Amino acid sequence: MDIQLLTSGITFGLSLGSIFFLMTIGLSLCFGLMRVISLDQLLYYSVGGYITYSVSLLIGNLWLGVLAGMAVGGILGFAVERLVFMRIYERDITFSMITSFGILIGGVGVIKFFWGLVPRPVPVPIDSQIDILGTDIPVYRLVVVAIALLVYGGIWLFLNRTIIGKAIRAGIEDVEHVEGLGINVYRLFSITFIMAGALSGLAGGLHAPLIMVDPQMGLEVLAFAFMIVIIGGLGSIKGTLISSFLVGQVVSLGSLVYAPLAQMAPFVLMLLILLLKPTGLYGSPLLKR
Amino acid sequence: MSGGDDILTVSALNVAYGESKALFDVNFRVGPNEIVACVGRNGAGKSTLLKCIAGFLKPASGSIMSNATSLVGIAAYAIAGMGIKYVPQDKKVFSDLTVRENLELGSYASKDYDWTQVTEYFPKLKVLMDRKAGFLSGGERQMLMIGRAILGRPKLLLVDEPTEGLAPSIVGQLREVFRDLSKGTALVIVEQNLPLVCAIANRVYALNEGRIMAELAGHESIKPENCERYL
Amino acid sequence: MNVLRWWWSLVLTFALLALLRVFVPLPFANEIMIFSIYTVGCNFLLGRVGFISFGQPAYLAVGAYAAAFYFYYFGTNPYVGILIGVVAGIGVSLAVGPLFVRLRSDYFALVNLALAVIIYYFMQKVLVDITHGDNGLWFLTNLSSTPVLDLTRPDEFFVFALLVGFVVWAFYKYLDDTIYGACCLGSKINEDKLKFLGYNNYSIRLVAFVIANTTTALAGAMYAVYLGFVSPEITSPTRAADPVIVTILGGVGTLYGPIVGAIAYTGMKDVLSKVLGNWELVIGFLLVFIMLAGEKGIWGTLEPLLLKAFRRAPAPGAAGESKVGGR
Repeated sequence: MDIQLLTSGITFGLSLGSIFFLMTIGLSLCFGLMRVISLDQLLYYSVGGYITYSVSLLIGNLWLGVLAGMAVGGILGFAVERLVFMRIYERDITFSMITSFGILIGGVGVIKFFWGLVPRPVPVPIDSQIDILGTDIPVYRLVVVAIALLVYGGIWLFLNRTIIGKAIRAGIEDVEHVEGLGINVYRLFSITFIMAGALSGLAGGLHAPLIMVDPQMGLEVLAFAFMIVIIGGLGSIKGTLISSFLVGQVVSLGSLVYAPLAQMAPFVLMLLILLLKPTGLYGSPLLKR
Repeated sequence: MSGGDDILTVSALNVAYGESKALFDVNFRVGPNEIVACVGRNGAGKSTLLKCIAGFLKPASGSIMSNATSLVGIAAYAIAGMGIKYVPQDKKVFSDLTVRENLELGSYASKDYDWTQVTEYFPKLKVLMDRKAGFLSGGERQMLMIGRAILGRPKLLLVDEPTEGLAPSIVGQLREVFRDLSKGTALVIVEQNLPLVCAIANRVYALNEGRIMAELAGHESIKPENCERYL
Repeated sequence: MNVLRWWWSLVLTFALLALLRVFVPLPFANEIMIFSIYTVGCNFLLGRVGFISFGQPAYLAVGAYAAAFYFYYFGTNPYVGILIGVVAGIGVSLAVGPLFVRLRSDYFALVNLALAVIIYYFMQKVLVDITHGDNGLWFLTNLSSTPVLDLTRPDEFFVFALLVGFVVWAFYKYLDDTIYGACCLGSKINEDKLKFLGYNNYSIRLVAFVIANTTTALAGAMYAVYLGFVSPEITSPTRAADPVIVTILGGVGTLYGPIVGAIAYTGMKDVLSKVLGNWELVIGFLLVFIMLAGEKGIWGTLEPLLLKAFRRAPAPGAAGESKVGGR
């Protein structure tokens, strides 16, 4: 395989992996702390994309759109947590999975209502290309990777250097003990949901220029989101990062080898990993707290 | 059953796990600076009682009052915030966090950033500060759990089987700590270790099959042979 | 006596379903029948074993494609095609089951979805030479007529679907009554206890998995025969949750939930997409509402009410009901 194709394949995979990471980190955090599977994150991803589309259409600046998408994602996440998840924390995992899936489907309906059925293009904010090893690489893709890495660094700092972050890490281990110390865990839950929603919104906003925004976009990545959290292990941030980039590369490089492989290969990878390690790479063995 | 100045007054408490009842009409009180021990067989309902006071279980009926405030229906974190701290039996520290971070969480929750008392009681923790709590021994974990809980000087400490599985030297250390703590904090200790109970308790409740069978008070009656009857 | 009591609700249900034929257009009635059979497996897994499957379309596609290959390349007899679909369903679920049923219930849901996606891309891209990709396989004219119950005619197909449905429901009702049904419920509620009693969780789940997915494959094969065409669309990831939605709508774990759910779902989809053009909105929020309201679903709410009404009504007159129930 020639080097140019390979370089562009790898950068494509990296940017895709970055989007995947931002999209699934919320899912993974929510599972880790609250033991819920929050498929509604994919709704905030779609909403983030659409808000970015609308704002950048209105004022012509994509970055403001992305910020607005993040804000809306966070607010939606908070609202849904208060209205729905507050009532179902005690229930088992399948329960939250079905309920949040209902929110996702209903949200797709809302998106169709506001924005219609037709996919919409979003202009790429940075047109320029950069030469890496003799290959022209779109700068925007590199920016996406940089943002994802920044977010990972930010999350790491938040979890390791702030007291709220430490409480969240402790809660991922055992939420009852955190509550027993006198920490209001429900506030931690809300913070986590807002963060998750905002990051999913960010993922949608950044992805929008690379694809077209489409009411079904959240459902289309559903399978990928599932796969990434399974490979990485539900609840693990590091695992999510690694598996996002792994899946990004597999999709991207796989499509260079043989086009249909792009979508298939990650699933085969997932089945293999599950065969070896039924809880994913970094998954916790606990079923329920 | 007297007293508005009681730290804790439990009356006619009934608790059930689904269909099966765990506690029947339990009456229980803790006065200021008292060490109250709770003895009984496994499954007698001792842990259930503590969990219920700490807010992790909802009682079916009955009242739990602390200085004329009802604790029933209050979230566990709020009860802890009122100065009623619970140290569970499982010796689970946050293993991914360092000892320091574990204590920081205790400080954050109680707004008490002064660790001198903790390090006085458990000098060993000072050395272990930057170690991940997951690598601690059982005794060290117990020290950390109690240390984390006494930050903020709680008015009542609920301790579930603190000495289970620990070396005698650590049990001795804990005994002194409990004694010293009781100068400012009331304690409820669920314990199987009768010599320890008899050495420190002001009153003993014996539980069996979810009922209080006896209440022993005074040094004459708190003796291992008197407690043993209920085990 | 007991035999009668056992059968009467089944007979009544399917008599009512037969009445559908009179009130709704034939394609709609057929759709409902197949959809109900499609969902009953998912309902069984979720309600009895506690496994939620977002990947039922995978097994639907297995049945449909197995039948489709037969019709397109080999034979013409619709009954043989359906049989082949069922056998393929058993084969695939036996192949993946041993791996899948070991997983935690959340991973189980995700892995099944993954299988559906794999099959989707296999049919769409990898096997494009024999599946014709997105164009699908058309074989309506290949189907031969049979003397009794000619499946190429929609009205006779409905009779066939009704009969198949009856057998399937009788089978699931029977399962519920056996010790095996109790074990399934046991493995949902408390695995460890069941283990102590000496039952093997793994084999209970595997059997449940195979039964449920074979039923789904049967529905797939019936789709193939009924539509005379199969495309990768039936296992599209965006439709992966259809059976779950129908199960919840109908009422998890209730015997007739899937039928009620299928009627409600296909009805809503049909009516709402005409009126609103936006049925997801209603379905999605209805799903959330049902879950928050106690996850009983339509049938789960109606059944106790109906039973009560039935019990009370004949008491003064002492006519029809007591005969059926008492004899």
